[in-house]
Amino acid sequence: MSRALHISGAWIGWAFFADLADALALTFGYMFSRSVTMQYPDKEKWLPYSRYRGHHFLKRDEEGEIKCVACELCARICPCDCIEVVPYEDEKGNRRPAKFEIDMARCLFCGLCEDACPADAIALGQQYEFSSFSSRDLVVGRDDLLGKPGKATTGGGVVAARLNTEQDVLVETSEPQGYNWWRNIRRT
Amino acid sequence: MELVFALGLIAFKVALLIAILLLLPLPLTWLERKIAGHMQQRMGPMRVGWHGLLQPVADGIKLLTKEDHIPAEADRFLFKLAPILALAPPFVVFVAIPFGESVSVLGTEITLYVSNMNVALLFVLAVIGIEVYGVIFGGWAANSKYAVLGSLRTCAQMISYEIPMGFAVIGVVMLAQSMSLLDIVRAQADVWNIVYQPVGFFVFFVAGLAEAQRIPFDLAEAEGDLGAGFHTEYSGIRFAFFMVSEYAVMLLVSVLSVILFFGGWNGVLIPLPPLLWFALKVAFFLYVFMWFRFTFPRYRYDQLMAIGWKVLLPLSLANIMITGVAFL
Ligand code: SF4
Ligand code: SF4
Repeated sequence: MSRALHISGAWIGWAFFADLADALALTFGYMFSRSVTMQYPDKEKWLPYSRYRGHHFLKRDEEGEIKCVACELCARICPCDCIEVVPYEDEKGNRRPAKFEIDMARCLFCGLCEDACPADAIALGQQYEFSSFSSRDLVVGRDDLLGKPGKATTGGGVVAARLNTEQDVLVETSEPQGYNWWRNIRRT
Repeated sequence: MELVFALGLIAFKVALLIAILLLLPLPLTWLERKIAGHMQQRMGPMRVGWHGLLQPVADGIKLLTKEDHIPAEADRFLFKLAPILALAPPFVVFVAIPFGESVSVLGTEITLYVSNMNVALLFVLAVIGIEVYGVIFGGWAANSKYAVLGSLRTCAQMISYEIPMGFAVIGVVMLAQSMSLLDIVRAQADVWNIVYQPVGFFVFFVAGLAEAQRIPFDLAEAEGDLGAGFHTEYSGIRFAFFMVSEYAVMLLVSVLSVILFFGGWNGVLIPLPPLLWFALKVAFFLYVFMWFRFTFPRYRYDQLMAIGWKVLLPLSLANIMITGVAFL
């Protein structure tokens, strides 16, 4: 009996386009849900999570000395062959890099160099805005790498931002933490 | 003096109508993209003007300044003729469409229609049929396989859907005992035709969707398999002509749905100015067009033909019979 009802209900639904009506109701509901658009770069930007693998940076130890011991393990493990390290011996007799260059144009941001480093000297930080008109500018040297921003601490979120094109193209933000973008995703 | 005044009034009305019809695609494209965006959880145009309001203007300027390209092997005369043939009929049709009874401006009664023909409905259906020539010529003249296939499909589609469309409105004509759109609206003062003619409205609206080449029946422009269908080779201002024509037809089908089945400018419950009622109803149908577009997938070509000939045609014929038996 209930099966017959079910079948006849299905036929009635078919005759009156119940499925089409369902679809219309769904899109109508979506029309009033929040949009997921992130208005990058002139209104909003994304703050990466702390696990994010962006532009590399080199670390210093407590004395302000560069941590890298120029063992060249990172250069060895790099699948893209984009790190070049030339060692030298400093006054204290430590092995340090005289030249440390990463070709960001070739890097695939796998993070293997970070994993391989025995001295915890290199890591991939939070910066992701470093596009350039010339691939030559993307070869970054030791001193630049020392000055790059480190890992993110706050972790994720969309913040208000401002596009500054006076000298370079910069997406500036002053907020350390934003709203969680995922809250806008409708899961029905 | 009388004659001059009457002629001037007609000229003014026609000019106003043309201006409105030419400018209406601007807000409509903006609205369509906004609705599309929000249905897909995007924002739509946001950059040009407040919430992208000036985006259609920017697009219009872009289309005007684009190179007007004519393919080397094209039939140049037909190629240039087609957009005009596609554009003119939807504009001409509006001559016969009433937007209300009349308003008095400075003591003179001004009717809200250009002409009140006694066969207005026939005129509308006949003139809108001419549009198919624009499609045929456009597809043929471009000398490209996508365009020809697109125009063949479109012709078959438009011709087969015009028949159920014509039959669907016969029920309305029987109820109003007149083919004048004005009389049809007057006859609906108490009860709208949709109450007596739900099937007629269904057939009319589905056929109208096909006529306006909108999803789910936009086979002419099936991007996936045909490029852009019959206007693949068109660019710049000629492409804009086809676009304006498409929006004008969409507006026409909305207006006709309101006039024929939803009581025209007769309101219910809330006493609003008749013209406002009319505009609100038309706006609702325009929204439905866009809503459908971003909800439904496209029908396959054989399904399209099957729906036209095996579902809509018998339905519309049955509708005429039942209307005849019940009301005459
Ligand atoms: S992230 Fe990967 S590709 Fe980039 S430098 Fe490190 S090891 Fe090489
Ligand atoms: S960054 Fe680490 S792995 Fe690379 S050379 Fe320096 S110490 Fe060795």
